[in-house]
Parts: sequence; C-alpha cells; structure tokens
Amino acid sequence: MTKFVLFIDSVTGWFGKAFAWLILLMAFGMGYEVMMRYFFNAPTSWAFDMSYILYGTLFMMGGAYTLSRNAHVRGDFLYRLWRPRTQATVELVLYIFFFFPGVIALVVAGWKYAARSWRYLEVSVNSPAGIPVFQFKTMLVVAGMLLFIQGIAQICRCIICLRTGEWLQHEEDVEELEQVLIKQAAAGHLDDAERIARGRDDA
Amino acid sequence: MTDPQIAIMMLGIFILIIFLGFPIAFTLMALGIGFGYYAYYDPDRMWRAYNRAVENDADTWTQWETWLDGFINNRIFDLFVNQTYSVMANEILTAVPLFLFMGYIVERANIVDRLFETLYIAARRVPGAMAVAALITCTMFATATGIVGAVVTLMGLLAFPAMLKARYGISFAAGVICAGGTLGILIPPSIMLIVYAAASGVSIVRLYAGALLPGLLLAGLYLVYVIGRAIAQPSIAPKPTDEEVGDIGTGRLIVMVITSFVPLAVLIFAVLGSILFGLATPTEAASAGALGGLGLAAAYGALTWQRLRESVYLTMKTTAMVCWLFVGSWVFSSVFSYLGGEHLISEFVTGLDISPITFLIMAQLIIFLLGWPLEWSEIIIIFVPIFLPLLPHFGVDPLFFGILVALNLQTSFLTPPMAMSAYYLKGIAPPHVQLTQIFSGCMPYLAMVLLSMATVYVFPQIVFYLPELIYGR
Repeated sequence: MTKFVLFIDSVTGWFGKAFAWLILLMAFGMGYEVMMRYFFNAPTSWAFDMSYILYGTLFMMGGAYTLSRNAHVRGDFLYRLWRPRTQATVELVLYIFFFFPGVIALVVAGWKYAARSWRYLEVSVNSPAGIPVFQFKTMLVVAGMLLFIQGIAQICRCIICLRTGEWLQHEEDVEELEQVLIKQAAAGHLDDAERIARGRDDA
Repeated sequence: MTDPQIAIMMLGIFILIIFLGFPIAFTLMALGIGFGYYAYYDPDRMWRAYNRAVENDADTWTQWETWLDGFINNRIFDLFVNQTYSVMANEILTAVPLFLFMGYIVERANIVDRLFETLYIAARRVPGAMAVAALITCTMFATATGIVGAVVTLMGLLAFPAMLKARYGISFAAGVICAGGTLGILIPPSIMLIVYAAASGVSIVRLYAGALLPGLLLAGLYLVYVIGRAIAQPSIAPKPTDEEVGDIGTGRLIVMVITSFVPLAVLIFAVLGSILFGLATPTEAASAGALGGLGLAAAYGALTWQRLRESVYLTMKTTAMVCWLFVGSWVFSSVFSYLGGEHLISEFVTGLDISPITFLIMAQLIIFLLGWPLEWSEIIIIFVPIFLPLLPHFGVDPLFFGILVALNLQTSFLTPPMAMSAYYLKGIAPPHVQLTQIFSGCMPYLAMVLLSMATVYVFPQIVFYLPELIYGR
C-alpha cells in the first residue's frame, strides 16, 4: 500500500512539475507580446488567449500535486493539535463525503463539456487567430482524474496512518523558503540558516 | 425547511468542516455539488428517459443506463463546469502565477543582505538607523516579493541578529521586522489585491492606484514611529560608535546604492508604473516583472538551476492553492445565492437598521476575527464575498471596502495568539528571544494599522485621489 501511495504521488508529482514549467513560457510569451507592441508596433493576435490557456492549464494540472504535498489551504488550528490517528480517522471520513463527490462531478461533467467542444474542434472567439480551446477544456477531465487517483492515495495514507499511528511522509519536495530556514533553525543549525539567507549555500 | 434555510445550513456545515481542518477548496466543491443537486433537481429531467425505457420494456442494462443519464442530467453539473472554466479563463487571475514567480525568484536573488547593509550605511546618521534600514528593506523586499514568511525569516536571520548585536531592544527590533514584512500583501503590486479584484469585480488597476497611498501612509507611520521611538528612548536603539559604523566614503556608498537599491526599486516602479499608467495589463507587467526578476537574480549570480526549479514548483503549488479555492468558492457561492442564502443574509442585515459606519465597523471586526484562524486567501475568496452584496445598501464603494480589508488583514499576521509573522520570526530567532517579546513588539504596529484605517475612513480621498486622478471617476 505504501508503494502504491508513493507511486501515485510520483505520477501526480510528475504532471504537476512538468506543467509548472509553463510559467516560463507564460513569462517569455507575454514579454514577447509587450516587446512586439511597443518596439515593433505589431501586437500579436494570440497573446491574450495564450496567457489564460497557459495559466488555466498550469493550475488545473497542479491540483493533485498540491494535494499530495498537503499544500491546499486548510483551517488546521484544531487539526494540528490532534494525534495522527485522530487526524486520519476524521480525514478518512471527510475524504469520502467531501472530496469524491466534487471530483467525480468534475470528471463526468467535464467530460460532457469537453466532448461537445471536441465535436467541432472549438476555437477561441477572442481573436481572429483561431486559437484552439478544445484541448484546454479537456483539462477539466484530466485534472479531475488526477485528483481522483490522488484522492485514493490520500485515503490509503489515512489507512496507513490508522495502522501505524504515523503519517506517511511524501517524497522529497520543494519547500517555502521560510520553512527551510525554520527547519534549519529548529535543528540547531542557525548558522546554516543564516548562510542560506545570505545566499552562500550553493554559490 | 425553506430553501434559504437550507442555504444557511450549507454555510453551517461548511464552517464545521473548516474547523475539522479538511482542505477548503474541495469542501466547497463537494458542498456546492451536493446542495446544488438538490437545488436544481428537476424530476422531469431525471426520470423522463428512464420511465420511457421502463414503459417500452427495455432490457435491464438500458434501464440502468437511462437512469444514470437521468441522474447526471442536472443543471448543477453545467453550472459547475462553467464556473470552473470561468476561473480557468479568468483574465485577472492570469497575473497570479506570474507575480508569484517573480516573488519566488526575487526572494532567492541574494538581495536582502546587500540592500540592508546599503540602507544601514546610508541611514547611519538617522536615529535608530538600523531599525530604519530594516524597515525600508522589509518594505521594499515585501513589495517586490509579496511573500510575508520569506521576508520575515530572511530579515530575521540577517537584520535581527545585527540589531541585537548593536544592543537594540528585542521587542523593538522584532516589531520592525514583523510589521515591515507584512506590508508585502498591501502595497501594490500585491497578489492579495489581484485576488480581491477577481472576487469582487473591482478593476484591478483602480485597486492598485487606490492602495498605493494607504500603503505608503502605513509604511510612513511605521517609519515615523521607529525614528520617534529611537529619539524618545535611545536605550532601545543606541547610537553606533564611530568604530561600529566604520569609515565608508561617499563614492563607495553611491556604488552600493546603485548595485543594490536601484535595481530593485527600478523593478518595482517599472511593474507598478506600467500598470498604473495603462502601458501594460497587470498580466503583462507581471511577466515583465518575472523576467526582470530573472535578470536581477542572474546579475547577482543567484540564478542557479536549483533555485529556478524551486521557484517554478513553488509557483505551481501556490497558484493551484489559490485558484482551486476560487473554483470551490464560485461553485459554492452560486448555489448559495440560488438557494436564497445571500438574499436572506442581506435582508437580515438591512433589517438590523444600522448606520453605514456601524456596518463597516462590524464587517471589519468580523474580518479581523477571521484573521486569527484563517489566512488572507480564504478570507478574501470565501468570506469577503458575503459582505460585497451588502455594500450598495450602505453606500460603501467596493474599492474603498477592499482597501480597508487589505489594511485590516495586516493585523492577522500581527495579532497574538495566532500572529504568523511573530511565529516566523520566533522560528529563526536565537533561543533567548521570547515569543512574548516579539508579540509586545508587534503591538504598536497594530495600533498604527487601526490608526491608518481610521484615517482612511475619515479622509477617503487618500484612497480615491489616485484612481480618480489617473482614470477619472
């Protein structure tokens, strides 16, 4: 079961991380548009559509990855006071009632929605450039499916925790800078934390 | 039960689930779907095909299939995908990942250290020079990155020990860093304001223009306080001896300013200026800012593969966090208002017969209290929209309301017992620094936030002056 959870984590992690790089495409694409408009007086016809397609794809594909790394906001002021077993029991029930209905609806309804769009290979109406959006609408289904399998993995996490009394740690992942620094400090390595803060850690 | 009562029940269940600590975005989605299924339930749509199949004596499989078709033939599903798609194709939220990316890159650009040192040397003749330098560094860095935790921890590791070494009061030094770092969510280009714009429909450029003076007012108040306190009570901010200051020539100082202060200032002004003067949309300005941030990091030799990767992945996680919250919230709130919950609340509040000022104070008080357990993203995306439909009744401009909320949420980082900024600082401070000392250092800043809110209320022109000047009424 542990292997299964880690496998799902790595699948959703792969999708999340791969699509995260769209941010660079977005930055350079929009930068190109601004440059063309002001320096060459030739605004592109596709930049606007591109910006939201990249942004929408980015965050939809990151939903499951973010869930697997426990980075979706939760009001955890009570939650974090409980023992891991209590946390797991509550979460297990809540996953069944408050996670799957929404996610299954996303897959089913998204399917109908995307299928309609595929039928006539829908393009954006925002510009005459005819940017296709049917692939973009498909993201609803893909994101829903990723969330669905991640949800199953999360349920397994709860079960593992119920058995062992400990949460299964997720794979190595990037952390917010403040978390990295606080961890270093908590481990008694204030000088290391300071070195990272000065940017002397890897340079 | 009538529909509006069911809507209130839906809200109640939601709040209960928040308390249990389940990821909020999915709770909202599930509740939206569940209650929406009830709200949009139409027996005709559900049973028509199935009944026909039964009448025609279709085989069991076909009967099942028509039943399932009927089951998912509910308008809530269309509503759900439409709302999700409108988050995906939202032209305001496109700026969110770009600004986040810019922030993550700039926070890793090895800039804080230089900036603080330069500003300290530049301000060394000013009373409380180190605190002044820390405050300005925090403000600038927070404006450019918008990530409170990173600013507070970085400054806590670099400026805080320096201040302690210079025999500054612990509380005094801690307060400067906590309050200065928190300014990042207020002073434009801040992500919080983009999120408010997307949630409220107020134009983002007007919000930026409107937030600029209140943000500077608050930063100015902080600065006056720091200098004033250093003059009134020199023991907590001792003057450095000549030896400690060192001997740095004007030429050298100018070089330092040009290499540390100027690039970051130019980046901030370029991004903000191009938005305010209509040269670029916030999304375009944000991408220019992201590219500028990459350039800055490269110039400081901080653009390693490792840091780029971190920034990219963190951008993904935070964007997904914010935007999925929008997906959930929009589904939830459209069902909530379809059931009549919104109407019920607005009838109740208007029935209270309170004056606009009472309403404003109550609304801000509720937001202040929500700031203890919740983060700004949840408050703005989920709870602020409950107040928005009430604003016209009391004649409150949503732009004005947004600025008050933005000021107010400063407190959520600074108010004990849940003050995030204080915990970040405690997390990296030397062990002898007590949490209570940090809390007491934050107190004066809380008072200043309240003072600034009152000032903005009495002189609304502080908010409206710039938007009206640039864009007209």
